Amino acid sequence: MQALLAFENAPPFAAPLRFFLTAPLFGVLAGLLIAFEGADVFASRWMPGALAATHLITVGFMLQVMLGALIQILPVVAGANLRQPLLIARLVHVGLSAGALMLAAGFLLGLPQLLGGGAVVLGMTVLAFLIVTAIALRGVPTTSPTIRGIKLSLFSLFAVVGLGIVMSLALAYGWPLPFSALTDLHAGWGLGGWAAVLLAAMAFVVVPMFQLTPGYPARSSWWFPIIMLAMLVVWSAALLLDLSVLARLGQLGAALAGIAFALQTMRLQAKRRRARPDATYRYWQLGLISSIFALFLLSTAALWPTAAELEGWTLVFGVLLVAGGFLPFITGMLYKIVPFLSWMHLQNTGQAKVPAPAMNKILAESGMHRQMLAYGLALILLLAAVFFPAWLARPAGLAFAVANGWLWWNLFSAIRRYRSHLADISRKLAAL
Amino acid sequence: MTHAKTPHVVDARYMEPPGPFVETMEMLDTLKEGEKMLLLLFREPHPLYKVLRQNGHDYETELMPDGTYEILISR
Repeated sequence: MQALLAFENAPPFAAPLRFFLTAPLFGVLAGLLIAFEGADVFASRWMPGALAATHLITVGFMLQVMLGALIQILPVVAGANLRQPLLIARLVHVGLSAGALMLAAGFLLGLPQLLGGGAVVLGMTVLAFLIVTAIALRGVPTTSPTIRGIKLSLFSLFAVVGLGIVMSLALAYGWPLPFSALTDLHAGWGLGGWAAVLLAAMAFVVVPMFQLTPGYPARSSWWFPIIMLAMLVVWSAALLLDLSVLARLGQLGAALAGIAFALQTMRLQAKRRRARPDATYRYWQLGLISSIFALFLLSTAALWPTAAELEGWTLVFGVLLVAGGFLPFITGMLYKIVPFLSWMHLQNTGQAKVPAPAMNKILAESGMHRQMLAYGLALILLLAAVFFPAWLARPAGLAFAVANGWLWWNLFSAIRRYRSHLADISRKLAAL
Repeated sequence: MTHAKTPHVVDARYMEPPGPFVETMEMLDTLKEGEKMLLLLFREPHPLYKVLRQNGHDYETELMPDGTYEILISR
């Protein structure tokens, strides 16, 4: 009875699920775009295809899962209840998906109006999300590093989207802006202030919970979001004051904070009590190792700026951090969250009279493992394509599309099995 | 397991959900009037807090340096 009471806090499954099932499709689209455009994508980070693929992945995949997961998890990790979570999910999902498509098409086709339109749609969607989230978090005391991390990451989300809108409108209307430096800062707020701080806030809860590790030490957990944001503020101020040394100091600080968090997580994973490594654990290992390499590149470039001018430096950094780091972290979590939510909703439907099937009956380990190998191959090809674009750009794009399509298939199959168990449990309940 | 704060302890730090919730509810049922129990976890259990408030239990949470949340719950 009491176990059912706790369930009241959970939003309907359909609220986060739409985001989780849409995200891999954006990964497929990004892969197909790379396969279609070929070597041009790897010529420079400023190529239309590279900008389009980057935003299909960061907005279409990453932001998609992150906002969907927040709708699900805010009541659980912060005690903050969104009013009408399903309605919010529907609106945010449509705005985000349409905005990401418009943005990518605007970049690819070189249509500044479409780009600006996409940025405005995304901006309004994110602003609406931020308002309802701020209302839900109003009065929620910051009693844990997780709550602090969520609050500060939402501020960063505002910053990254704001910078994105300003730049896209500047492109549309020909405003003179220092685009290169602003793009770096936009990426810094997006990947550091928003994605990394939110990831850490979630990791403080889900790494011990799902991987059975010790907890993150309190002091470093309280400080990580503050240090990351402070470094981004330093970097932003340096840009306004035109102090490049200070900007590089901010980048170095953010990179070192990220490395410290990754090493801390590896140390906890080494002490885990779950004997057999599962797909989530392996995906996280991949993400941690790739992120450490990427952040090492960022630190080196901050100390020695000419390094970043070496051929392929920035592209390797981007591929390592986004495709090697964040996507594996997110996929690893999806592989826990989707079976767990399925199980929780089945358990609740069964009302303790009809038991729910075990989580591995909803999503089998072998399917996740094979998909992970395909993703690993895609990542290696993407990295190699930076150096041999003529040979490897198209195969890398195709491999990335296949791996993401496979992820979608795994999640979709889990939901099909969930629905079939749901019907089965309802039948058994009716027969009791 | 006992603790300086109370002899009634659920150490749920390496337990998978819903173990911590179920064991806490079971222990609360065994407590006598005026007794307290301690739940140890590596996260703040907000859904449990809600149920505790609904059922009229008081609780106090302290985050320890090693990342353990000590949640002291009154009967």
